[in-house]
Amino acid sequence: MKLEVTELTKCYGKTRALDALSLAVESSRVLVLIGPSGGGKSTLLRVLGGLDVGDSGQVIINRQPILTDPNALQAYRRKNGFLFQQFNLFPHHTARRNIALPLEKVHGFSPAEAAAMTEQALARFSLLEHADKLPSQLSGGQQQRVGIARAVARPPEILFLDEPTSALDPEMTAEVLELIQELSEAGQDIILSTHEMGFARAVANQVAFVAAGKIEELSPPDELFGSPKSPLCQRFLSRVMRY
Amino acid sequence: MSRHHRIANAIVAIALVLGFSWLCTMVFALLGNQTDWSKAWNYRETLFRGWWMTLRISLMALVGSTFFGLLFMFGQRSPLVVVRWTCRAFLEFVRDTPLLVHLLFGYFVIFAPLFSRTLGDQGLDDKLIIGVLLLSVFEGAYLGEILRGGVESIPMTQWESARAVGFSPIQVYRYVIFPQALRRVLPAMAGLFVSLIKDSSLLNVIGVAEYFYNTKNFISRSYAGLEGYVPLALGYLILTLPVAWLSHWLEKRFRHET
Repeated sequence: MKLEVTELTKCYGKTRALDALSLAVESSRVLVLIGPSGGGKSTLLRVLGGLDVGDSGQVIINRQPILTDPNALQAYRRKNGFLFQQFNLFPHHTARRNIALPLEKVHGFSPAEAAAMTEQALARFSLLEHADKLPSQLSGGQQQRVGIARAVARPPEILFLDEPTSALDPEMTAEVLELIQELSEAGQDIILSTHEMGFARAVANQVAFVAAGKIEELSPPDELFGSPKSPLCQRFLSRVMRY
Repeated sequence: MSRHHRIANAIVAIALVLGFSWLCTMVFALLGNQTDWSKAWNYRETLFRGWWMTLRISLMALVGSTFFGLLFMFGQRSPLVVVRWTCRAFLEFVRDTPLLVHLLFGYFVIFAPLFSRTLGDQGLDDKLIIGVLLLSVFEGAYLGEILRGGVESIPMTQWESARAVGFSPIQVYRYVIFPQALRRVLPAMAGLFVSLIKDSSLLNVIGVAEYFYNTKNFISRSYAGLEGYVPLALGYLILTLPVAWLSHWLEKRFRHET
């Protein structure tokens, strides 16, 4: 994907979540956002994913500007996928229905087509045995995997993941990260934010360090983790890598 | 239950039964042999017609109040501040004034002068229609608050997830928010519908021939006492108990689900 963000600003009340943020990525399959909590990772991801609109500035993804009109944004969300930290699934539907419902109602597939695609997505992520359980009967890791299965059941142009493993224990984190890696190896374009530095290093083509509403540094993972240039980034990495 | 509890329970139960029997004996002794159930039997057709009318009013007002409830809920969630405030003010007014006043004022001052002639010319029962409308608005105001509470109790992440999978605003309500919110408020809604059935008796003040109205006429014409009031209470119980049971059943069922 090709990504071009210019002077993007977004305020919540008096807090500047994004402060004239600019970012240019020529071609990258997996872009990982790292940085301190409250630094603007989530906000940036939400704007990129079409869930929020910047106050000013522009975002161009794959030569298409993201428009601010609600209908255009909805159309934009329909062709992409987005996963939050937790509680992505609709609790009143089974895993299977969670995946099939958007296929039928958003993408207009017939119930039979949707059922076949759902079956395929469940099988792909080894979720068939959990297909008919409600979200409350699944572990956090399984819920996230179903969430991802829902997001990619109809292949999205870009998959956005906002700290997909932050609410999980280490074992469940691993099962979700494996799945994300598998997706990236299959050629899926992904933009994700995470606190898992090892994973960021392993899966990213480009890593962006986001702090105080700006991109402090953008480079390939080996460079950014090996010899970070920005002092903020150095301090952050030395702190999170210490333990 | 401990032994002490069992003994205390038994003693209180006996005391309650004795007290209630004593009260009944006293009342019947005072009434003497005046109670004559054949009076009620003679008026059975009028009474049944009234009961049937109450059932019809309740069903119509159930549909009407659902309509107004949804209207008030969406009004209060409108993106326009003016709509929200107007809605809020109207709801507050309706909820904080007696239904009796709405019926008298609404019928005799507002609607009857405007519509009675037109409705009557078309062979419609103007009192019934206007009465049901006023009752629907009143109960709808309460329902609107119940629905709003239910919708607002759904966590933000559900709205977000629904938007993220690409649902349109209407689909967000239809497939994600309402199914979850309704589960939470169904017991409260059932409770409200019980109130609605009972409140329908107030339509007697504008002359709708419903169950209470017909019973009242029967009592004043035949000097009946218990013969009038006992069937009256039973008639309402037949309507309200199923709804109340339904509400308890729903409450139990959804408690386990979440």
